[in-house]
Amino acid sequence: MPKEEKVICVGCPLGCEVELTLDDKGKVTEVKGNQCKEGESYAIEEYKNPVRVLCGTVLTQGSSRALLAIRSKTPILKTKLVGGNKALAKVRAKPPVKMGDVIMSNLVGTGVDVVATSDLPD
Amino acid sequence: MKLQDIDVAVIGSGPAGMAAAVKAKETGAENVVIIERAEYLGGLLDQCVHNGFGLLYFNEDLTGPEYGRRFIEKLMDTKVGTMLETMVIKLSPDRELTAVSSKEGVITFRPKGIVLAMGCRERSRGAINIPGTRPSGILTAGTAQRLVNIDGSIPGKKIVILGSGDIGMIMARRLTLEGAKVEAVVEILPYTGGLIRNEVQCVHDFSIPLLLHSTVSEIHGEQRIEAVTVAEVDENNNPIAATERRIECDTLLLSVGLIPENELSLMAGIELDPITGGAIVDEFRQTNVPGIFAGGNVVHVHDLVDNASWESEIAGESAAKFAMGEKWGKEKIRLKAGRNIRYIVPQTISGERDVTLYMRVKEPEKLVRVKVGDIMSKTLRVVKPSEMQKLEISADQLKKLKEGTKEITIACEKLERKGGK
Repeated sequence: MPKEEKVICVGCPLGCEVELTLDDKGKVTEVKGNQCKEGESYAIEEYKNPVRVLCGTVLTQGSSRALLAIRSKTPILKTKLVGGNKALAKVRAKPPVKMGDVIMSNLVGTGVDVVATSDLPD
Repeated sequence: MKLQDIDVAVIGSGPAGMAAAVKAKETGAENVVIIERAEYLGGLLDQCVHNGFGLLYFNEDLTGPEYGRRFIEKLMDTKVGTMLETMVIKLSPDRELTAVSSKEGVITFRPKGIVLAMGCRERSRGAINIPGTRPSGILTAGTAQRLVNIDGSIPGKKIVILGSGDIGMIMARRLTLEGAKVEAVVEILPYTGGLIRNEVQCVHDFSIPLLLHSTVSEIHGEQRIEAVTVAEVDENNNPIAATERRIECDTLLLSVGLIPENELSLMAGIELDPITGGAIVDEFRQTNVPGIFAGGNVVHVHDLVDNASWESEIAGESAAKFAMGEKWGKEKIRLKAGRNIRYIVPQTISGERDVTLYMRVKEPEKLVRVKVGDIMSKTLRVVKPSEMQKLEISADQLKKLKEGTKEITIACEKLERKGGK
């Protein structure tokens, strides 16, 4: 049985609703609804490997600031966002921290490090 | 730097102010100072911990604090002076500026050129008149953003967001990740008010109900908000009683638009555009008051920070040139908004050099041709009010204008799809 999946393309303001048809093995057999070439490749990639940058904050210890802003260095699977953020809740950043310092390595097994996006003073 | 020697003073150190100050310095102004009321530079960038900054300006996907850092480093490299914890309280038409700080007390000086970069503020409950009680737990999306990302407290656990501006949608994601339940994002228009990537990545990604063509018709609760009534709206945007339903919540966030912050501009006698809410500017980003320039969200609200910085660089460059003695002629061509164009910035141009126009449309439309008088046109697959349009016109194209042209109409022409489907 062929299956259909829908993906909204974010490549431009058009926001095309792209329909992907998949065969039994999950292979994309047809792409429709996109209005440009980039839309097709975006939709296939977004279906196969939907990734996002996880951004947020971690609590601090021994700083005048309550929080330190962080991000995943590169995008991670979107299904890992919630669990990733939960794992970061246990972290306490201690000063001094410089922008780009690794706060947690290999976030929930993604192989991606979480880095500070600002400095943390005393 | 002595106060009386200041060539260019920039008011506000957000993405617009920092870009303007660096550019003023690079253009050749000797003494450039940036005045910031907070204790740190960057304006709101520090609380915008999400990514999506700098995609155009730096060709990189940065977070707010990272974007800010790039400019703070440029400020340090170019030796722009900074006056922190200093708030400008008065600005006169002859560019006399009065500021207060706990360190210096009240100071008054008259820079040769001034750049306004005060940014914008959020519309609040009072601006949209929601009926009901007046409990606590109702705040703007930006206030919630500050609480969550700087202060480290979550405003509530069951949240309804009214309005689908970018900050509202970004907070929907942020609060969900932090463990709150976002019950709904409610938008009065039939489409979201922010960027498509935010709709997908902040709302759809987390299966948050997006209630379009709907509004909050009543607020319930005595001490703390307990629930809202949500209803669909009719063609006049009035709630339809039969569709009303109650959504329990402990927090209501408002993401219902931003207004340029122009109290100082008004004091200086600067003319504002009733549509943008910001100063009327020419292509040099000069206001009607000579020597006072403006850039970024204080002129019109941008959707991308990159554009706010770029626009403000024009203001910084012009302020530096003005401080060094350059003056511009009074001959100006007015740009008039035609069919489906809400506004155009700058409002006037010289018609003599390359210029980039920033525009917003009134209604979403597919397949249109944007026409600039009869000198040029550009076909676009889609236009949306939430996505600013940028249109570059070259000096060569402007040469096609008839001698003595005083006004050019810019209009969005609907194109019929030829052949095919």
